[in-house]
Formats: sequence, C-alpha cells, structure tokens
Amino acid sequence: MMETADFGSPRRGNVMVIIVAALFAVLFLRLYQLQLFYHEELGKQSEENSIRTFVKEPIRGYVYDRNGKLMVDVGPSFTVTVIPAGFEAGNLELLSSFLQTEPQSIQDRITKGRARSRFSPVKVLRDINFTALSAIEEHLFMLPGVSYEVESKRYYPTKARASHLLGYCKEITDAQLAKAGEYYRQGDVIGSAGLEASYETFLRGEKGYEYVAVNSKGQLLGSFENGKNDKRPTEGFDLVLSIDADVQAFAESLMTNFRGSIVAIDPNDGGILAMVSKPDFDPSVFSGVTPAEVWNQLNNDLEKPLFNRATMTRYPPGSTFKMLVAAAALEEGIIDENYRITCRGAYRFGNRTYKDQKVHGSTNIVEAIQKSCNVFFYQLILKVGLDNLNRYSGKFGFGQPTGIDIGEETAGLIPSVEYYDRVYGKGKWTQGYLVSLGVGQGEIGASPLQMARYAAALANGGTLRQPHAVNLVRNKQTNRMNTIEHRSGRVGISQNNMNLIREGMRRVVQEAGGTGGMARVPNITSAGKTGTAENPHGDDHSWFVGFAPFDNPKIAVAVLLENAGFGGTRAAPIGGFVIEKYLFGDVRRRMYIAPAKKDTVVKVTQAVAQ
Amino acid sequence: MNTYFKEYFDYKSLGICLALVGAGLISIYSATFDINNAANFDRQVVWTMVGFVALVVAAYFPLKTVQRLAIPLYVATLAMLLIVLIIGKTTSGSKSWFDFGGSFRLQPSEFAKVITVLAFAAFLSKTTVTIGNMKHLIVGLTIFALPMGFVLAQPDLGTSVVFFGVMVPLLYWAGASRFMFAAILAPILVAFGALLGTTAFLIAVVLSGLLLFVTRENNFAAALAFGITLAVGLSVQIVYERLPTYQRNRIATFLDPGHDPLGAGYNVLQSKVAIGSGGLLGKGYMKGTQTQLNFIPEQWTDFIFCVPGEEFGMLGASVVLILFASLLFHGIKVGELSKNKFGSMTAIGITAILATHVFINIGMSMGLMPVIGIPLPFLSYGGSSLVSNMIMVGLLMNVYANRKSY
Repeated sequence: MMETADFGSPRRGNVMVIIVAALFAVLFLRLYQLQLFYHEELGKQSEENSIRTFVKEPIRGYVYDRNGKLMVDVGPSFTVTVIPAGFEAGNLELLSSFLQTEPQSIQDRITKGRARSRFSPVKVLRDINFTALSAIEEHLFMLPGVSYEVESKRYYPTKARASHLLGYCKEITDAQLAKAGEYYRQGDVIGSAGLEASYETFLRGEKGYEYVAVNSKGQLLGSFENGKNDKRPTEGFDLVLSIDADVQAFAESLMTNFRGSIVAIDPNDGGILAMVSKPDFDPSVFSGVTPAEVWNQLNNDLEKPLFNRATMTRYPPGSTFKMLVAAAALEEGIIDENYRITCRGAYRFGNRTYKDQKVHGSTNIVEAIQKSCNVFFYQLILKVGLDNLNRYSGKFGFGQPTGIDIGEETAGLIPSVEYYDRVYGKGKWTQGYLVSLGVGQGEIGASPLQMARYAAALANGGTLRQPHAVNLVRNKQTNRMNTIEHRSGRVGISQNNMNLIREGMRRVVQEAGGTGGMARVPNITSAGKTGTAENPHGDDHSWFVGFAPFDNPKIAVAVLLENAGFGGTRAAPIGGFVIEKYLFGDVRRRMYIAPAKKDTVVKVTQAVAQ
Repeated sequence: MNTYFKEYFDYKSLGICLALVGAGLISIYSATFDINNAANFDRQVVWTMVGFVALVVAAYFPLKTVQRLAIPLYVATLAMLLIVLIIGKTTSGSKSWFDFGGSFRLQPSEFAKVITVLAFAAFLSKTTVTIGNMKHLIVGLTIFALPMGFVLAQPDLGTSVVFFGVMVPLLYWAGASRFMFAAILAPILVAFGALLGTTAFLIAVVLSGLLLFVTRENNFAAALAFGITLAVGLSVQIVYERLPTYQRNRIATFLDPGHDPLGAGYNVLQSKVAIGSGGLLGKGYMKGTQTQLNFIPEQWTDFIFCVPGEEFGMLGASVVLILFASLLFHGIKVGELSKNKFGSMTAIGITAILATHVFINIGMSMGLMPVIGIPLPFLSYGGSSLVSNMIMVGLLMNVYANRKSY
C-alpha cells in the first residue's frame, strides 16, 4: 500500500488554483512584453511583411532647341524587377531563359538588392525587348516576386547628335549610389554626362510610390489603405536650350573629316548655338542598356570620342590671341592707332630669331591684325609684359572656367610670373619666353569654348557673358517657364580701342590681304581671326574665331581643327559656313573644305592628353 | 424555479462559454473573410448550434447515467480510434478524421479526451477502487495510456500531450502520492534530456534517479520506476527518428527558437509579429494586416489567438485570457464543491483538458511553447473541437447542479 493523500484534499485544490494562476500570470506577462514592450519593433516588422513598396518611375524631362524643336524625346522602356523575399530560387533558370541572359547576373543583382531590402523590388534587367516582355507577362503567375516597371528611355529625333552637350544617362554605379543618397536605388538611371548630368535634378522628376498589400505568398492583393499613402510620380522638367538643332547638325556634318571642335555663341546673351566635339558618339547607344563592349570600345578608342574637346582641351590659341595682346597694349596706353613698326619678316630677340609668314613692311595695329603680322606682336608683347598679359587674359575669361552649365571644363592656362618661377625657378627664365606668347604660342592654353566666348565679347563690344546651353526650364507642374540667370561683366576696353581691334578683325575676313578671306559670307560683313597653333606632337592645329554681322553681331564662333594645318584654309571656311547657316538658315554656295592631313592617332592622343 | 436558477443553474460556465464562442466567431469571421475559406464561418455557426444542443443535453443528462455509460463509451471510443487509424483521412500528415463525405467530418480524438476523463472518473469513483492500490493505479494509468498511444500512433503529438496534461492533475486530485508523481515525471525529464543531447540525457537520468530515491516508499517500486524511466529515455530517440519531418522540425524549433525562420519557426514568428503589432488597443477589427493578409497559416484553427491579439490588442487578448482564467478557476471550484467523487473528478478532468489546451495553444501563439497543433477551446475553427468543448461545459454545469448529491 502506498501513502496517498485524501481524495480532493483542499490543499491540493489550492495548489491547482495557484498553478493555474501562475500560468496565466506568465501569459499576461508575455502579452505585455509582446504588445507593449516589443510593440514598436514587431509593428514595424508587420508593416514590412505585408506592404510592398513599388516605385513608379517619373517621366524624364524633354529637351527642346531654341526654336522649340524636340531634341531629346522620351519613350517607355521595360525593366524587370524581382522582390528578393518573394522570389523562388528554383525559378532563376526560367527567368533567365525568358530574359535571354545569364542566371548568374540576375542572381548577383538579387543578392545585392537583398542586402538593402528583402521586400523592395530589385531591377534585374533594364530595357528588355518585346519578346522578353511578352514572355514575362504571360508567365507572371508562375514567377512569384517577379514584376516589371516602366521607365523612361531617351530618343533623339533630330539629326543633331550633340553628344557631348546633351550627355547621356547611364545605370547608376556603386560609387554614384554611395554618393547620391536615398533617392536612388540599384538599377536606377542617372544623368552621367553633359546636360543630363548637370540638370539631373530638374530632368529626373520625382519618383512616385505605390503601396500594395501582399499576402504571405507575396501575391499582390491590391492597394494598401486604398492608396491613401501613395505618391504619384512627378514629371521631370523640360529644358529649352539655346542650341539651334539645325545649326548643330550642320556644324557636325562640317566636321565629319576632322578631329576638333566648333562652338557657336549668341554674343547677346551667351547662349550656346552649337557645340561640336569630334569624334563624337551616338547618344542613343546609352538610351537603354549599354553593352559592356560598346562602353569599353568608346572608352578605349584612341581618338577619345567621349572626351569633350569643346570644353576639356587646352590648345595654344595661336594668332587668334593677337586681339587680346592688342587690347592690353592699347588700353594700357603702350601704343595707339598711329603706332607703326616695320616688319622685315623676322624678329631677333636675344640670340634667337622669331619668324613671320612674310614681310609685311610698315604695319599699324589694325593691319597687324588683318595680316596677322607676327613681328608686330613679338615686339609688342615685350612692351606689354607678362603681368599685363595675364591681367587682360583674365578680363577675357582665359585661365578660368567659363561656368558653362554642362559640367566638366578646363580652366586653361595663362602663364604668370609665379607660373614661370614655379616651373623654371626664380630668375631662370628670360623675357624670351614671353615673345611666343605674343602670337599665342608656347605655354598657353584655351578651350574652344573659351575662345568662342572671347570672340563673343569682341563681337558685342566688350561684355563677357557666362556661356550656357539651357535658356529656360519648364516646370511641368505649374507649366511655367523659368529663366536662368547668368553672370556677365564688362571686359573694360574703351570703345575706341575696341573699334580698332574689331576693324582689324573685319579686314581679316572682308579685305584683300586678310588671312580669313575664306570665312567670308556673301551679302554680309563678318569679322574674324585665323590662327595656326604650333604643335610639338604633330601637324599644327587650325583655328578660327569670328562673328557676324559686323555691326549687329548675332553669332560668334570658334573653330578648332586638330592637326589640320593653316587656320585660314580649313578652320576659316568652316566658321563662315556655320555663320551663314545660322543667319540665313542655309548655305547657298558650293561648300569645299580642304581635307586635313591625317596625323597618326597616337600623336593626337598625346596632344589631347597633354 | 427561482431556487433552481439561484442554486443549481451554472450560469457562470454557460456565460463564459457563450462569450468565448462569440469571441471565436468574431475572430473566425475576420480570419477567413475575403479568402477562399469564408465558408468556414458559416459552417462554424452551424457547429455552434449543434454544440449548443449538445451542451444542453450534457447538462441535463442524468449524471448517474453518464457515470454508468462512461466505461462502455470509452471502449467504443478506443474502437473508433483504432478504426480511424486504419481507414481515417490523412490531414497534415496524421490520420485523425472520419470523413462522412461532403463537408461533415468528425475527429474522434476530440471526444476521446472527455470520454477518457469520464472513464477514469467512473473507474476511480467505484467504492472498491483506491488510488493507493498499485493494481488500481496501473489500471487508471492504462485508461489514459491506451487512447494516448492510439493518438500518438496517428501520429498526433498535440492530442497525446493533452492526455498527459489531463492525467497528471487528475491523479493529483485523486490523491496519488509523491512517489507516483516522481515515477511519472522521471520518464518525461529523461525523454526531454534525450532530445537535447547526451549530456542533458545523463543529467536527467541522475536527477530522476535522485527524485525517485527521495520519494521512494519501497525499493522495488523505485527500481522498477527507474528501469521504466531509462527505457523511455532510450526509446524516445528511436521514436523521434520515426516522427514525420514536420513534427521533428517543430520540436527542433521549440528547442532552438529562431532557427529556420521560414520553416517551422515561420508560424511562430508571424504569430508573434501579429500579436506584438497589435499593441495596446489593436489595429481595429478586420484591419489586422497579418490576419487579413493570411500571413499566419491556418490561423482560423491553431493560431486564432492572433486575431484578438492583433485586431483588438492587449485589451482584446486580455479579455480572452480573463474569460479563460475565470472558467478554469470556476471549474476547479466546481470540482471542489462536488460531494460526488465522479462529478468532482469529471469537473477537474474537464478543467484540466481546457487548461492544457489554453496554455499550450496561447503559449505557442506567443512563442512560449512548441507548435504542437492543438486548438484553442471555443475560439478555433473546427466542429469536433467546438462540440466536444461545449459538451464539456454542459457536463460541468451538470456536475455543478448535482454538486450536493453523493
């Protein structure tokens, strides 16, 4: 017999009550812990669980030329997305076969996206073709977590490429993503060059968000809270450029056989009318997905087609610089219109002889510009001195960025006493270094854009304007056009002195004995200056700067042809054609430009890299 | 008549029961709304009516007749459990249903619990039987062991755990000695140890040996109990190997919470999220995202507690808990008040069945218990469970009404 308690003893009844009470206490404590203590954390988790955020891509802004012609259009592009949490790994092969791509590349993107959020869609392939889109669309039911988004894709309806000016959009890189902050996510497209980059925040618009409730299988059930938290995407702003698409296309066609650049500016407001850099590229290769081969080819091409020669190069301006030396000399009272020298075809300084093209005889400042007399400027620059040269260069905007709104540009180089001291050592350089600067040779460099602005300042009688490609921005919400303010300032050259220089430039083009006769445009008076920049790496670079009409200038232009030789024969006619096209809408004469001698590409590359 | 309502009508049991059934219907409606299971709500309403009739019958059926019928019913139930094992319908890996065609299905194991309690109570309330007698104790244990074994063979781990959860308090109430409990607890301790690993197993063996030694009344019984304990511990490993994967996963998840969040732990995680996200006042009826969006699998059955937890918050969940606590305290009270041994055992047994379900189910919803898949009384969807629970409340009312008769 075992020792037992009485049946139903009161003590045992109490023990049972206590045990039940204790167990309920545990349940209550746990309830308190979950619902109050961990509420915030678990509440957030429940939201993440059941709400998927779908990004609605905005329509990127359009780009119009100055006459309202559509230059950059937008079309739909379809991007496949995957929600990492909802995607079944077993479907990877199927998905990649629909998309005709490697499973690994899809997997890599999902893995990368998962690290950011398991519940947000990751873009796995952009700009899929119609076959892939229909395959995906038809099989969505067997591909949980897979969806697609509509994004903008660029189209270029005009003949103008304007590759370097318009720039391009590209899928955001990891480095950009790290810098750009919250707005962007992996797979987004971002303006990466030219106007697309510098006006990115205007053009891109604002993404919209759609919150969709999903069930545990990741199936979409409909909008969350009737879409009251949704945000519609905001369309990007349109840009209205100062560019004339016809002139741009025409200028590009003139450069078919050349490396180099054309920049045309409206001297009255600083608006860029055309900007060409050759060789260029077809911007539409960037509109969808850029295959790595294409990108690498563009990047590795020895002629550097991605490089914007209009803003990023530094070429000695050659004789086109003579107006600046003249302006410094006249304005400082070193010479006046009556000052004459006799040119014997060469100038001796120290133990070196500096050559001229020919013997010009008795020459004043106007004739020196007209005939491009080197001897006149060799002796003049010694009188002007390095400090004055530097100061007047600054007034015309050399040696400093122009502030153009397309992003990257070079400041150029204008030597100063400090510069020579730094490079050669104090007291180890002589006035002889100065002599070649008088004719724009030597350690001096300017971009075609700087040269065009200089030409524009000479055209408008001395106002230096900030060059810009965008005139107006249209706000798509208010539909209002917003103008953009630009800097401008006087170069500070007296009317009389400016007239002397402009007269010299007029004679260059219009008078017999001028070096720029080939830039002459029928029925109109133009002005200009040719230049031939000596190039230690190969054939000389060919320059022309000019403007027209002479009395009421509407266009200023700078033309640079790499290794094309004498400025008067190649750059000058191109400048003339561009002016004519812009002023008359067409060129009604036989167009002939002597083809350039082809230098070796390697030498060009060296020159460009310099 | 007035005296009847004052003295003999157990309005408390009935009131709490109806309140819980109401809470259940509200929750099931929310959990099954807008998905393919919406018909479940209508079916549950029908089952509630069936259950109410069964409750009334159980409440007014003569208690003495219940006592007399207990053993024959028990035998019949055992037979049913055997038959269901052979021809039953397989649901989520276990054979526990009778399928009568159409939408009418019956789960005998739901009724087996209360019938086993009745049989045990009937056996122990015989004047010739005392719990202190070894032979009688073994018969009593066998009354539990047989249905428990059949249910385990289905295999339905959850229901067999309930049998165990009912047996222990009943033995306690019946007056079993400390050694008897040591002898019952020791194998469980060792079984747990076996699941956790060799070191835990050895510690459990030593502890249960000590427990048996300290409470021993004679050495032979202690040695026998220790032998059984060892045998159980060793066979657990073998049984564990034979368990279906889903149950093994559930055990593994319990032993290592946070393991495999998208597998077996997924349910618990989602259910914790649902309850936790409810906060103090809840997200509002029909507005619980976890509930409405089907994040918790089968939540109208085993995870129904998430619905009040998420949609009505701590307030709603507390109301449910308080209702259950009141019912359980009242059940114990009825057991204590009953001068009739059969009635008293029945009340305690019924209370134990309900308590085991409540603590395991709610504990599991809040991540305190392994997911062993037993319904929450009155709230979970399921006809067999609801009807058998309402029969139990009817019986409790019956015992209350007859508490003064010997």
